[in-house]
Amino acid sequence: MKLSDKSWSPYVAGVLIGLLQIPAFLLINTALGASSSYVTVSGTIASFFDPGIAQIDYVAKHLSGAKNWWQVATVIGIAIGAYISARLSGTVRGKVSPVWKKALGTSSFSVRLLLAFVSGFLLLLGARLADGCTSGHGISGMAQLAISSFVSVACMFAGGMIVALFLRKF
Amino acid sequence: MSVLTAIFIGVLMGIVFGFVLEKSRVFEPGMIVGQMQMRNFIMLKVFLTAVVTGLIIIGIMHGFFGGKLYPKSLLYGANIFGGLILGAGITLAGACPGTVFAQIGAGYKDSWLILIGGLAGALTFSYLEPTLKPILLSGGPGKLTLDTLLGVPFWMLAFGFAIALIALLFAMEKWRPWRNDMGQNCDGVK
Repeated sequence: MKLSDKSWSPYVAGVLIGLLQIPAFLLINTALGASSSYVTVSGTIASFFDPGIAQIDYVAKHLSGAKNWWQVATVIGIAIGAYISARLSGTVRGKVSPVWKKALGTSSFSVRLLLAFVSGFLLLLGARLADGCTSGHGISGMAQLAISSFVSVACMFAGGMIVALFLRKF
Repeated sequence: MSVLTAIFIGVLMGIVFGFVLEKSRVFEPGMIVGQMQMRNFIMLKVFLTAVVTGLIIIGIMHGFFGGKLYPKSLLYGANIFGGLILGAGITLAGACPGTVFAQIGAGYKDSWLILIGGLAGALTFSYLEPTLKPILLSGGPGKLTLDTLLGVPFWMLAFGFAIALIALLFAMEKWRPWRNDMGQNCDGVK
């Protein structure tokens, strides 16, 4: 297992990701998560145009504080880490994954961009409604035996599998 | 802790997270769509291994050292509808809210639109939240965990669940070695 390998075993990767719970719990007093950072960032940007948004309690509690900005820093770090890894192994990716041409049945980049926007919207609308994503509910919630996370993760896979029926196999 | 220290720790943790996500290839849309079509099992293997590791760590920290838990409130309507919408988004994005950033780091350009759509989705939810609160986001039994529901010590259930998942992972690996799911270019495309 080298830093320049193109791929590592999913088990090694899973253990390393799971170990990140130690600094999260001990240093930040929270569990790993990703999706509330979108509320922090979009709320901060929106507050320049609509200062009234800070009056919404839900937004207000996401705007400031160490935990919120820790999570924003974490997701930005994810991009940096992935970039470093891809550079070391020579797996830097092109414009779009070849999977989409096969799964969507079209090579149009505009179609993919439109779908990417819609999918991102659904990702965060759903994650904020459920109060967590694959990290917060999945990795962290299930490891804390939270019933809300078992329900959310089951529905997440159900929703994903239903939509996948409409995509072509590749 | 100061915000600046938290940001510093966050960036370091994120770099490890992103590095490992890239190495595992679980950030590839091909892995995610393949998993949702039950033809590729990299995602489930990474995901369940991370859960197992968390169960053991949290089982020790909470079970033996009294560390605090941070479970989320059980709200059936919100968890079910939110989970379904999130799942639909995962398949169409080929990503989760966290792995979008790994896609961006690895170079995929369409992922920037997932990120912008995500910010728009989060903002839309923020504006809707006061309206949704009385309908979907209040009441419920609270931050319920399985150990309190069953009246079993947390560590016992956590370790038991971890052992069951490890057995499942061993069976999955025997049935379907992970290297077979990688694809020629490590993107899940056979």
